[in-house]
Amino acid sequence: MKTVINEQERRNFAREVESKLHDKLAKCYQCGKCSAGCPVNFEMDFTPNQIIKMTELGMADRVLNSKTIWLCVSCNTCSTRCPKGFEVAGIMDVLREIAVNRGIESKTEKEVQTFHEVFLDNVKSNGRIFELELVGKYKLKTKHLFRDMFLAPKMIEKGKLKMHSDKVSDINQIAKIFKDFE
Amino acid sequence: MKLAYYPGCSLKGTSFEYEVSLLKILEALNIEIQEIPDWNCCGASAAHSLNHNLSVALPARNLAIAENNGFEEVLAPCAACSSRLKTAKYEMGSDDILKKKITDSLEMPYSNSLNISNMLEFLINVAGKEKIKSLVKKPLSGLKVASYYGCLLVRPPKVMKFDDPDRPVSMDELVALTGAVPVDYSYKTECCGAINSLSKPDVVMALTGKILYDIKEHGADLVVVACPLCHSNLDVRQREIERKYAERIGLPVLFITELLGLAFGFSPEELAIGGHMVTADKVLKKIS
Repeated sequence: MKTVINEQERRNFAREVESKLHDKLAKCYQCGKCSAGCPVNFEMDFTPNQIIKMTELGMADRVLNSKTIWLCVSCNTCSTRCPKGFEVAGIMDVLREIAVNRGIESKTEKEVQTFHEVFLDNVKSNGRIFELELVGKYKLKTKHLFRDMFLAPKMIEKGKLKMHSDKVSDINQIAKIFKDFE
Repeated sequence: MKLAYYPGCSLKGTSFEYEVSLLKILEALNIEIQEIPDWNCCGASAAHSLNHNLSVALPARNLAIAENNGFEEVLAPCAACSSRLKTAKYEMGSDDILKKKITDSLEMPYSNSLNISNMLEFLINVAGKEKIKSLVKKPLSGLKVASYYGCLLVRPPKVMKFDDPDRPVSMDELVALTGAVPVDYSYKTECCGAINSLSKPDVVMALTGKILYDIKEHGADLVVVACPLCHSNLDVRQREIERKYAERIGLPVLFITELLGLAFGFSPEELAIGGHMVTADKVLKKIS
């Protein structure tokens, strides 16, 4: 992992994040309130305030490969409590998007990314989520075929798992949205 | 005023009980809603996690269709959907370039003027507490009910513009209208881990377990929610959490619409309460 950072690279990365975030990294004065209230901080390799500082310092490799960006559940407790009104949850979205665009795959949290990808594929092909197909494809991709399967019989009995789904009729418009923005 | 209804995917699938009960109580309240024609998925957490523009464009299609059909108000009962619709409106309101890109792509005129309500907002602002109270035929006296808000109904406050982000009261007020006793506890707005339920089940069980055991400790008979994802974690994963932490919970999780429906005099069958994984039979006996 790269530790010496060229000043120009540092600025470029910080600027890229700031322009996507529509917020200034220098707003953060490292009080740590975001990290104290984060419900998933116990699983993270870097706390949210560390991620902000590391981004400002241009440590792109570290933040884009961190577990933190994929563990963030977007609950927005951090952004709500931030005394400076910094977009803490927003920066996680921005970093995830940059990581995906650069083809960086999380070594430990790949499944979170896979779930999101399978979810969007489902939206792309049906316009709506077909839950059974979503779960099936996710399981095939992650090879966790039996995890959570014990829930299935009771869910079927309760009528929770639908065997078919309604598609959006104007599926071409959905395809166009994906074409224009993906 | 024409009221649009954006059901979202969960209400047509795993959380069908939410839709059944909400249609029942709106009928009693004499409020007519119409499904947005040919609505699509809002993209939920997946879109905003991977692609910002897509996370605005997907909900925007629904808003544009609703607007072009003459609606002024949209009810999005799923907390995640309402959060995504409100966020799309907020983003397009503050980023003209993105708004233009999206309206160009959709090829529809769009003014970004719709009012979007989550379930609690709709019940309080559109239906009104007085009217709700007047329909209570069967007070749920003696029932102790914990309201679980989770994240997206109230956060981030600059986008949701609803209730207090740290100490919300709206759902507790609705509970009080039914004659039940609202239970105070610590984790009303702690996250259940929603989006990562399938990809990080251990983390989700730790978060959800913390909430459920706290509610249990404060003596509630049941929990009410206004979000299908919260419901799914608190209800569907409850047995597994009990096994993991070797301590019984046994807390039925109802949608707020089901609780109101019971107070309005509908039967548990009419409200599809039997569709939940944790049975509410014992608790329902208390009020029958």
